[in-house]
Amino acid sequence: MEQLMADLKKQIIEALNLKHLKPENIGDDQPLFGDGLGLDSIDALELIVLLQQSYKVKIDNPQDGPTIFRSVKSIAEYIRANQTA
Amino acid sequence: MGNISPQKTWGGAPLLSEVTEHIHERLTCVEPDYTQWFDPRQLRRMSRVLKMGVAAGSIALKEANIAIPDAIITGTGYGCLEDTGIFLSKMVENKEEALNPTPFIQSTHNTIGSLIALMLQCQGYNQTYTQGAFSFENSLLDALLMVKEEPALKVLVGGVDEITDYSHTIQKRFGKFRERSESNLNLYKTEDGALNGEGAAYFVLSGEKSDKSAVSMEFVGTFYKADAETLQSGINDLLQQAGLTTKDIDFVLLGNSGDQHNDKALQDHASVLFSKSSTGAFKHLCGEHPVASAFAFWLGVKMLQEQTIPSSVILKNANRSLNNVLIYNQYFGTHHSFILLKSCRDSG
Repeated sequence: MEQLMADLKKQIIEALNLKHLKPENIGDDQPLFGDGLGLDSIDALELIVLLQQSYKVKIDNPQDGPTIFRSVKSIAEYIRANQTA
Repeated sequence: MGNISPQKTWGGAPLLSEVTEHIHERLTCVEPDYTQWFDPRQLRRMSRVLKMGVAAGSIALKEANIAIPDAIITGTGYGCLEDTGIFLSKMVENKEEALNPTPFIQSTHNTIGSLIALMLQCQGYNQTYTQGAFSFENSLLDALLMVKEEPALKVLVGGVDEITDYSHTIQKRFGKFRERSESNLNLYKTEDGALNGEGAAYFVLSGEKSDKSAVSMEFVGTFYKADAETLQSGINDLLQQAGLTTKDIDFVLLGNSGDQHNDKALQDHASVLFSKSSTGAFKHLCGEHPVASAFAFWLGVKMLQEQTIPSSVILKNANRSLNNVLIYNQYFGTHHSFILLKSCRDSG
């Protein structure tokens, strides 16, 4: 889990071009949207693509998005729960 | 005016006091630190051409002391090539599934004008012209018609184009540009082909003279695949409508591109029509690209504002004072355009 979260932080920085951040600047439980990292709706779409491309994980119900993308930890938990072996 | 170009045309430096030498097949822009204008969070999604365009627009508006213009008009021959390239590559790589939204959204030609409007919250007229090497000229024409109808309007108008590795490779394969790396300062000495270029320049046009107005644009005319006779009658007609003749032109800024055939035709034509005028060239400074005339527009306005002709520009000096500057551009011998700039010192 720790390794997955570390990987996700690097991938989020690269995919969203967050050059001003380093992986250690993103807390496991830190909110990614709103007052947290300040991501927006286009970033949410980029994260969906990231999950699909890198982890072969799809989000079937769009209404689950806010819960899944709340933090790096919640994304990692979703990947673990939905990734096929 | 705001101009991001292969020369240092921003930051208040004296007009072309130092010419930047590029020893390469292409002339890429000397770019400023964009964080002086934009939050890093705004910049992170912008491709290079977007940064160049939005910065040039911001500089122009700031200089004109205008917060929000009444209209934004942009000319671009190629559009946002970098994002288009990324989008198409990803489409192939990902087998047309799970495509990244950002390069898709930002691959359209009108992204630059739209982004300026979004950042300013400007809900006025917003148009992008993409008609090859007439894109900037048609943008100017639209702006000119707007301010003639409603002189109080303040219109932000500009031209933006970028080179990418993909576009340069493809254009070279077409044989459009010279094959070997060469100093841009030797462009007219060797004459064996044009050098690829890029740039972003924006201007604020209004039908009303303000304290800051130094220059007026009298006309813009375009001629596609025209012969010498058509061009001659065309420029005579345009000058006549402006109440001028060829003898009134003090300086002609020529679109010589380093291509022997087209440059000779342009030079021969200009030497007959404007034998008493000073002449100069600009494409060794900005390279050849569809909106190179936007760089010439910036240069012409600067020359009239500062009443000086940079030595790096002069081809022939007739020692005339600067009141009327004509930009006579050509793009690979097919697209010809005339833009007349006039000093406001005379027009009252």
